[in-house]
Amino acid sequence: MPGLRRLYAPQRVAVRTDPRGVPAKVDGVAVEAVREEWLVEDRWWTPRPLRRHYFDLALGDGRALTVFRGAGGGSWYRQRA
Amino acid sequence: MELACVIDKRLAAQLRPDRAWGPRSGRTGLPDPVEAGEATETMVRALETLGAAVESEQSGEAFFAVDGLRGLYGGEAAGVLAAAQRAVGEEFQLGTGRTRFTAFLAAVGWARPVPVAALRTRLGVSEREAGELIEALERLGIGTLRAFTRLSADQVADRFGPLGQRALRLCQGEEEALRPRTPQVELAEEIELPEGTAGCRLDRALELLVDRLLAAPQRQGRTLLGLRLGAVLASGGSWSVEQGLGRPSASAKVLRNVLVPRLEELPGPATSLRLRAVGLGPPARDQLELSVGGSEPRRRRLGAAIREVRAVQGAEALLKILPVDSSSRVPERWGLLTPFPEL
Repeated sequence: MPGLRRLYAPQRVAVRTDPRGVPAKVDGVAVEAVREEWLVEDRWWTPRPLRRHYFDLALGDGRALTVFRGAGGGSWYRQRA
Repeated sequence: MELACVIDKRLAAQLRPDRAWGPRSGRTGLPDPVEAGEATETMVRALETLGAAVESEQSGEAFFAVDGLRGLYGGEAAGVLAAAQRAVGEEFQLGTGRTRFTAFLAAVGWARPVPVAALRTRLGVSEREAGELIEALERLGIGTLRAFTRLSADQVADRFGPLGQRALRLCQGEEEALRPRTPQVELAEEIELPEGTAGCRLDRALELLVDRLLAAPQRQGRTLLGLRLGAVLASGGSWSVEQGLGRPSASAKVLRNVLVPRLEELPGPATSLRLRAVGLGPPARDQLELSVGGSEPRRRRLGAAIREVRAVQGAEALLKILPVDSSSRVPERWGLLTPFPEL
């Protein structure tokens, strides 16, 4: 709808992961710590269920960042940075 | 104490091990999340009509205590369950147990001996963490919940850490008491729309719906805390949005003001509109007086300030957050940024 914008819309981000699939670098910045991780599964009742694996990260440059990966090892996105 | 778990058959099918994650091809079911939520709500209300105190914290499942209902349904748990099954219909299946977990296992239909994989969605952690615990258990030859509960608490703490302890407590029946919701009064109105109703006529239909809702005798003078506006679409399917009111209100003007903008989100022509109260507050007479003297000068000053800011910073300099679905677990559904209205 014109004039409306989503808050907290996900934005693509470049993430390198370690062998366990946990983010090791985000946009070239090393991940200091994974503060929390959680899984969101929603719309399981539809033909297009939503599944996201979220990571709350502390980066080497001092920033805190929340990223997620879509189902099936898809692209990475940042959200509510 | 005996608890019953009622679970959506499609959710149960998804949780069983013979089913990979994701929807089955050709799977039939409810066409949208709105209807799935409505189905859960209808199921919970049906159980409450039987006299059950129901806890339902996730879409698709609910729990209630059987014991207090035995006297009403022939003295046996089987009578209670039969009545519950009749009430909720064939789309849901039931199971009972001493705890939520055992009732859940029975409702989902896990075969005995129950594998440790049944813990996967009940530990309150990510699937990866739960999967690691399950994998570690299986690697050590502990494939069933029975075998797991034979371990001592010390062994579990030593080998599997806090998550293992949590799983053991779950299997040993340590759970918090049920937290049943307060049964709600059904307060909803629906209006059929003539073909091609749009624009101002749609607004007027909504006004009529609001007036009907406020006039409904079962409201008994109480205020509303939130509303769910829904529509049946001419093209098939349904649409619905939930709208909080910020503070309890029984003012038709307040309700119309928050609901009319939401009509713009209607994805297509509708054949009917439905408005449901999702929470009732204290009676209107207990509300504080909201009218404040001198509001007109304040409005004029605010309007001038808005125009001034926009003239300097551009049309999008002043936005407001329109709450959309604050309970969603997906952040981008929480709210929208919309232009601050001219005053």
